[in-house]
Amino acid sequence: MELITNLALGFATALTPINLLYAFVGVLVGTLIGVLPGIGPIATLAMLLPTTYALPPTSALIMLAGIYYGAQYGGSTTAILVNLPGESSSVVTCIDGYQMARKGRAGAALAVAALGSFFAGTVATVIVAALAGPMVEFAFKFGPAEYFSLMVLGLIGAVVLASGSLAKAIAMILLGLLLGLVGTDVNSGVARFSFDIPELTDGIGFVAIAMGVFGFAEIIANVEKREHREVFTDRVGRLWPSGEEFKKAAPAAVRGTLLGSILGVLPGGGALLAAFAAYTVEKKIAKDPSEFGKGAVAGVAGPESANNAGAQTSFIPMLTLGIPPNAVMALMIGAMTIHNIQPGPQVMSSNPALFWGLIASMWIGNLMLVILNLPLIGLWVQLLKVPYRWLYPAILVFCCIGVYSINNNTFDVYMTAAFGVVGYVFYKLRCEPAPLLLGFILGPMMEENLRRAMLLSRGDPMTFVTRPLSLTLLLMAAALLVIVALPAIKAKREEAFQEAD
Amino acid sequence: MKIRNPKNFWSGVMFFALGLGFALFAQNYDMGTAQRMGPAYFPTVLGALLALLGLGIAIGGLAREGHDGKIDKFHFGPIAWIIGAIVAFGVLLRPAGLVVALVALVTISMFGSHEFKWKEAAAVSFVMGVIVYLVFIYGLKLTIPVWPAFIEN
Repeated sequence: MELITNLALGFATALTPINLLYAFVGVLVGTLIGVLPGIGPIATLAMLLPTTYALPPTSALIMLAGIYYGAQYGGSTTAILVNLPGESSSVVTCIDGYQMARKGRAGAALAVAALGSFFAGTVATVIVAALAGPMVEFAFKFGPAEYFSLMVLGLIGAVVLASGSLAKAIAMILLGLLLGLVGTDVNSGVARFSFDIPELTDGIGFVAIAMGVFGFAEIIANVEKREHREVFTDRVGRLWPSGEEFKKAAPAAVRGTLLGSILGVLPGGGALLAAFAAYTVEKKIAKDPSEFGKGAVAGVAGPESANNAGAQTSFIPMLTLGIPPNAVMALMIGAMTIHNIQPGPQVMSSNPALFWGLIASMWIGNLMLVILNLPLIGLWVQLLKVPYRWLYPAILVFCCIGVYSINNNTFDVYMTAAFGVVGYVFYKLRCEPAPLLLGFILGPMMEENLRRAMLLSRGDPMTFVTRPLSLTLLLMAAALLVIVALPAIKAKREEAFQEAD
Repeated sequence: MKIRNPKNFWSGVMFFALGLGFALFAQNYDMGTAQRMGPAYFPTVLGALLALLGLGIAIGGLAREGHDGKIDKFHFGPIAWIIGAIVAFGVLLRPAGLVVALVALVTISMFGSHEFKWKEAAAVSFVMGVIVYLVFIYGLKLTIPVWPAFIEN
């Protein structure tokens, strides 16, 4: 049983006191930031990324994964208590979770979300562990042409899921790819688009883009909106769900887990898609669909389990292929490269402790979330009472010190500020920034694989369609685009995203 | 001529300009061939695609009315204060040290809020100063100058 030995190695790595500590700190700090309204997991990860630089790579990734789950769960807490989704994937939780809170069942909603997420996390960890091996073997069959086509598929998948105009999302990807090319070209040694600025010859800092476009821009947008929050602070209610609530929630959690696990692996998939899909399914199969929107327990359990399962299985393509299926995984790839780990199928054999340790820590992180969050709900509620005008300067301080400490260089601080302005413009023009980040990470990889593929085929672009695996991937990408462009689906898609707004 | 959907129109213009800019600037580098791509090849193709797509989006924005097409008002206050605060932090950090830079960052950024109070700015600065010192200087042992250069030396 290779799987058992691998998992044993993983748990041995993840359970060392130091890694346990980092997982704990990650989950705690991730929840802390994630609870703040308007700050989603991407912004949270971008802000906290610099704090992990000094750690050994395994601990750093374990901590980052913890931050991610924490932020995700923190977002759900805010969604339920304040009706403000901290992130897009808890938009759905808002619908019924907040209604439960208004009925005085906030405690039960939070408990259902936590337990559902934990169940989903456990199942998803097993799935990740079981699929990782075969996926890596499959990945070794990939040549540069296949990688290129896979990235195309991944990017198209991400576009389909971005809310708003398709054309704008594709444009954001292209812009991201171009920004990713800034800096020294590995093949020729030419410094591209660097305008003779020495700092730019190393490329645009990936933290600068992520923190500027997601963190700073979100803060500016939040500050200009005046505060109007209604927090259910005094009526969190009994934590433990009633028997009837439990009966309704359990099957929804199982369905959500299955759906989320599958959708998480797909290119472009992940927590957001999973949550939306699970809510739709629950609404469709419910005996009394009119309950939804008025505080249905299944409407909290399903999406919450699904988004956690999806969040976790989206690690599969990231870990095995080195290709991020969504913006959060793009951040994880960025973190790996900062620690000099080249993402790709070889990670499993070259860094087995990191690979399996990270997988094992997923489960440990989820367990910590339950243990940590149920007793600490009172603390999060208190945090939600702190006015935003005190919080955002504090967040800015952490961001600025974090950015500076990457290279001990103030240039990065200015760069981040510039991307904050850019992100604000994107926000005003309703250009979704997640595809940009994905493109930014994939830019250099895509160029490299395109070059290699074309070199191998002696300049014949037909190589992408004559190799069966590559053709299949490209056809899938084309099919996705065609499906989304169909008038009937297009209308449905717009409707779904408008509901989310 | 009336712009029917300003959000899309101006997004398109932005993408067009950026795409064109990247594609043209890339011409400073070697194009290479399809088999041996030079540093200009990929950016030229991407830039051209982006410019075309931007053009399409802009034309669409002229022609088609869309749901929620108007651009929300730009609030220059918050953005100027917050970005200004970050830049001030960067400028002050090396010569004046972390403490001064932090107080400047907190105070200036708090001007961006609708309700600014000096007492609150002082309180947040103090609390953050203590936390930052404990976490970054004492805990993570980052090499950041804490006090102005003339005191540190």
